[in-house]
Amino acid sequence: MRKDDLKVIRFATIVCVACSFLLALTASALRPRQDANRTFFQKQNVLAAFQVETVDKSGRPWTREQTLAFFDERIQVKILDADTGTVREGMTLEDADPEAIRAGSLRPLYILTEDGEPVSYAFPISGQGLWSTLYGFMALEKDLATIRGVSFYEHGETPGLGGEVDSDWFTAQFRGKRVFADGELVEFEVVKGGGTEDRDHAVDGITAATITSRGVQNFLNRDLRAYEPFFRTIRGG
Amino acid sequence: MASKTKALITDPLSDNNPITIQVLGICSALAVTVKVDKAVIMCLALTAVLTLSNTVISLLRQVIPSRIRMIVEMTVIASLVIVADQLLKAYAFELSRELSVFVGLIITNCIVMGRAEAFALQNPPRDSFLDGLGNSLGYSAVLLIVASIREVFGSGTWLGLQVMPSGYLPNVLMLLAPGAFIIIGLLVWAQRTLIGHYETD
Repeated sequence: MRKDDLKVIRFATIVCVACSFLLALTASALRPRQDANRTFFQKQNVLAAFQVETVDKSGRPWTREQTLAFFDERIQVKILDADTGTVREGMTLEDADPEAIRAGSLRPLYILTEDGEPVSYAFPISGQGLWSTLYGFMALEKDLATIRGVSFYEHGETPGLGGEVDSDWFTAQFRGKRVFADGELVEFEVVKGGGTEDRDHAVDGITAATITSRGVQNFLNRDLRAYEPFFRTIRGG
Repeated sequence: MASKTKALITDPLSDNNPITIQVLGICSALAVTVKVDKAVIMCLALTAVLTLSNTVISLLRQVIPSRIRMIVEMTVIASLVIVADQLLKAYAFELSRELSVFVGLIITNCIVMGRAEAFALQNPPRDSFLDGLGNSLGYSAVLLIVASIREVFGSGTWLGLQVMPSGYLPNVLMLLAPGAFIIIGLLVWAQRTLIGHYETD
């Protein structure tokens, strides 16, 4: 050991402890605000899946307050029990256990209402792409067979390739496509050539991002199936 | 003394500009100059990190063991960058989503490490703070010029406001990385011709 080794080690330790402390402090102090931002961003994406025009008459985007006011007034959130396909009465998104939602045993359902009547249903979709887990929402029309919109709010796919999932050209294709025919769910496809008019149950995949496209196809169908028991009760009634 | 202090701020603006003369920090100058608003946030983030890191490292300069000085500098810089990134996530969420990876890359921005090594290690905190500020301003000036040119010609807007007549066909080259290369190249040439700076072997 050299003479000043202890001094070096002591200095390094002090620097490390001081920096860790600073980081821990910042992270915990800013956590509530960051979480609020994330929740708000999710709400914006629910609205995007519902194809709600979030601009006022003069074309300015809504402020945070306007968005939240619309959300409170027009959107109901119900929590479904995945095993039974029934609504957990009285449970709100805030009191649902986030772990249970992540594990898929509780599933939130967003309902867009007009004069108190449901006009569209949206639910979260998420799953593996090529590099990352993608998160988004899918909205179905009142008939629970036609897609109203799809949006993605978080992913770590390659920009320009798989990252195109959140671009308008990709998500816009879903509108008006169908996931249900002759009384049952149909496997939806995200494939080359899927975007043509005569194909009701498919959209175009992303060129040079086959694995991302296939991932979207897989988790979209999987999440649709998870909600199907509940959707069936609505369609039937 | 007063003039020397002033020079700490004004030198990096022109005669010793970190981008056009020292050619440091090019990566972010290319990456975040598509839109002016992003460039502004990037400049603020870099200014905060560079002035603070210079000050902190200058305060520590007498006690940092020279054998581990670069690692210590790196730790200080990385911590400050993470703090800046966390602040953006809390207070400018939309922008942080578009910027996040580049804010993280401030850690490897050569200007920060360069100023720590070249200036803060030998000078008192106040001068180091000013040196950090000066270099940030020099960096910001170039970034904002490049971003303005790219946004105006590439999108027809400036800070989101329409400035080009309707019917203007945006020049997509400006939005791509090569467009930034060309503009920065021209800036370097103009700047060096103006102040008569020549590289010597």
